[in-house]
Amino acid sequence: MAYSDKVVEHYNNPRNVGSLSKEDPNVGTGLVGAPECGDVMKLQMRINPDTNVIEEAKFKTFGCGSAIASSSLATEWVKGKTVEEALSIKNTDIVRELALPPVKIHCSVLAEDAIKAAIGDWKKKHGIAVPVAEKVAH
Amino acid sequence: MTASNTAATAPPTPDYFSVFALPRKLWIEMAALEQKFLQLSWKLHPDNFVNASETERELSLKRSSELNDAYRTLCDPVARVEYLLAIEGARKEGEHKQQAPPELLEEVFELNESLDELRDAKSEGGDLTALKARLESAQKNFQQKLEEVDAELFAVAKHWDATVEVEASGTNPHAEREAIKQRLNELLNGRSYIRNLVANVQKELL
Repeated sequence: MAYSDKVVEHYNNPRNVGSLSKEDPNVGTGLVGAPECGDVMKLQMRINPDTNVIEEAKFKTFGCGSAIASSSLATEWVKGKTVEEALSIKNTDIVRELALPPVKIHCSVLAEDAIKAAIGDWKKKHGIAVPVAEKVAH
Repeated sequence: MTASNTAATAPPTPDYFSVFALPRKLWIEMAALEQKFLQLSWKLHPDNFVNASETERELSLKRSSELNDAYRTLCDPVARVEYLLAIEGARKEGEHKQQAPPELLEEVFELNESLDELRDAKSEGGDLTALKARLESAQKNFQQKLEEVDAELFAVAKHWDATVEVEASGTNPHAEREAIKQRLNELLNGRSYIRNLVANVQKELL
């Protein structure tokens, strides 16, 4: 199945590739993986502790084009959002935006999980209780 | 009605283990499985259905193909575990409940980064010796992990079989079985991850 134009566009020009310091107390890191396909996705965000706004987001993904596009899109979407707003991003939003076919839906799930894991990590660093739903065991 | 016709018109079989009239145990005697497979295949052979009705012929073909799937799955020890978990409702492909073992992710990520570096160095004509050595040692490390996973898979499978025997004697080891299924699932997830990696590294090191 051919990739949609948007997937190809993100794949060829991925946004926000790179990494932030894991040690930085304001950086949350989410590392998630899908065992079926062997994909692994790292999503990091620097969050302003006073405003809860995500000021910077970086990713690095080893996986198929859809996984890269999903994480690239996720970093674009979370930037400038508050933690609460970012947590409301659903994998189905990513599926719709990138027109992912059914066999690639797990890539969008991975991206949603990565957002939750990164925010969960940041909350942990700041001693904020993490609701069970946000605890991604990946 | 002949015996072969009965085989072809029998109601749909619920799972691969019962195709061979086996309990849901993970240890299977291969010689006996093969013999049973040949027997059943022969019963379903199209030659036995030359004079049968269209419906019966179609059914026998369908049964044959089920039988082949069943045999192929049960022959492979890993596919067998995967199948058992699927019919026991402990493994659903494609759902995001398939979780990667967290302790592996970090290493997987690092290895992938080294692989990237090697690819870059290759295309830029840089010095590959140090990178290759790093990957080779990582490769060994993951091979060893794979062996450990397989050893544990074997041990947990034995444990599972023991609970099947216990159940046959009348007690219900439900909680124990749930824990075993969960562990088997984790082991399979880790295994497929490691296998993919080892294959990728092998490709790059060629």
